[in-house]
Amino acid sequence: MMHSDKITVTRREALKTGLAAGALIGGTRLALADDTLAEIKKRGELMTATEMQFPPFDISDNGVYKGLDRDLVDAVAKEMGVKASYLDLPWTSVLPGLEAKKFDLCIAPVTITKERMKRYAFTVPIADATAALMKRANDASIMKPEDIAGKTVGGQKGTSQVEQLKAFPAKLSKPVEVKEYVDNNQSYADLAAGRIDASVNSLPNLAYAAQQRSDTFAVVLPAFGQPTYFSWVARLDDKSLIDAINAAILKVEADGTMAKIQKTWFGQTMDLPKTVPEPSI
Amino acid sequence: MKPEVILHSFGYLTQAAGVTIAVSLAGIVIGFVIGALVCASRVSRRAWLARLGGAYVSVFRGVPLLVQLLFIYYFLAEFGLDVPAIVAAVGGLALSSAAYQAEILRGALNAVPRGQAEAAVALGFAGSDIWRRVLLPQALRISIPPLINEFILLLKASSLVSVVGIAELTRVSMNIASLTYRPLEAYVGGGLFYLAINLALAGFGALAERRLAADGAR
Repeated sequence: MMHSDKITVTRREALKTGLAAGALIGGTRLALADDTLAEIKKRGELMTATEMQFPPFDISDNGVYKGLDRDLVDAVAKEMGVKASYLDLPWTSVLPGLEAKKFDLCIAPVTITKERMKRYAFTVPIADATAALMKRANDASIMKPEDIAGKTVGGQKGTSQVEQLKAFPAKLSKPVEVKEYVDNNQSYADLAAGRIDASVNSLPNLAYAAQQRSDTFAVVLPAFGQPTYFSWVARLDDKSLIDAINAAILKVEADGTMAKIQKTWFGQTMDLPKTVPEPSI
Repeated sequence: MKPEVILHSFGYLTQAAGVTIAVSLAGIVIGFVIGALVCASRVSRRAWLARLGGAYVSVFRGVPLLVQLLFIYYFLAEFGLDVPAIVAAVGGLALSSAAYQAEILRGALNAVPRGQAEAAVALGFAGSDIWRRVLLPQALRISIPPLINEFILLLKASSLVSVVGIAELTRVSMNIASLTYRPLEAYVGGGLFYLAINLALAGFGALAERRLAADGAR
């Protein structure tokens, strides 16, 4: 028993060494990368993942996945001639899962930043991600973004919107206290409870939240952040997959499907860049 | 507070509670089997076996369950070992719980008075009979309250399996909170389900204790 175990290990080692050698000689890495698109076509399924707690992009309504991302990825998969499947992961697990090849594409809206472009391949933008603020509906002390001087603002840890918020007070008379939360919903809850004075997030997210609970929340206009965009991301070496997704997104934009989806979830349409924009943050 | 949020999501919560129960139950049962083996090796007279058992407990009790789950699901994938989410979830719970259950069982064995085994020897019991009829029944009875305690802890810790994409009770409560923008109602709903499950577990424990006590008296 021990003996045969040892042989297996040796074989595996040999295989590993062989693979490593192959990678050195023939550039296996490239060949493997191209396989993702081929494999998606072969299995007839585009495996995606997101955190289904990001309305109006990703919602789990009584177990049914809904939202802008769902509608858009369905349309994109249809263009590619495959079906989409969706996995619900906490945000902290989404990018590690992508790297561990647990799925093909992250359809959680990811803000395009310089830092992230080094690690992931971005699709063309799927929505506006410009950072904005939301306040309690009955709070008359905040009428424009600059009014948060000297107040407390909450947001989701690790998001680019919180980073933009931290950079914002440089232009203000008094500093802003930033409270970071595991997710935006806790920030909204504390805003409703009066523990913080405003919540930061992307404009589409806040507009939807304020619309859903208009008695409690109101958006502070205009958006204060640099113009930024949300994209989907794939593994850095999956170039052919990104090209295929981009072609499908542009097709969906051109034939008016995108406008219809935007109307459903944002209540309005918006134009998006046709290429991956140079990140401003 | 809007109770209709809970009512509207009742089916969703029930389904998630089912997932929580299934994953936890599998973790408890498999964990008990592994835990019994680890306990047996820890009390073994063979030094290397005892050390191996000790090392198991140190590692799986010492590393947080969250890290174990992430390790099984994401890290092993780096080496081409693609563990399905449900296997990673149940496996992580079982491996971690086994360490605690092994120590509970070992403590219970130690708590059986030495004189019991000596008396059994004096009465002419065979070695296997001493274990089967004297030591294990008493140890099992002693271990019931801490085991039920561990089961309840595991059931609540099972909320962590959402990191590998399992939609269990806590995760679904969060989904409902984000969908409705009513976190209070969503978490109260989820909490009530946990309470109901754990009350049932505690009731089961009380029943098992009564049964075993009656057996002992006979």
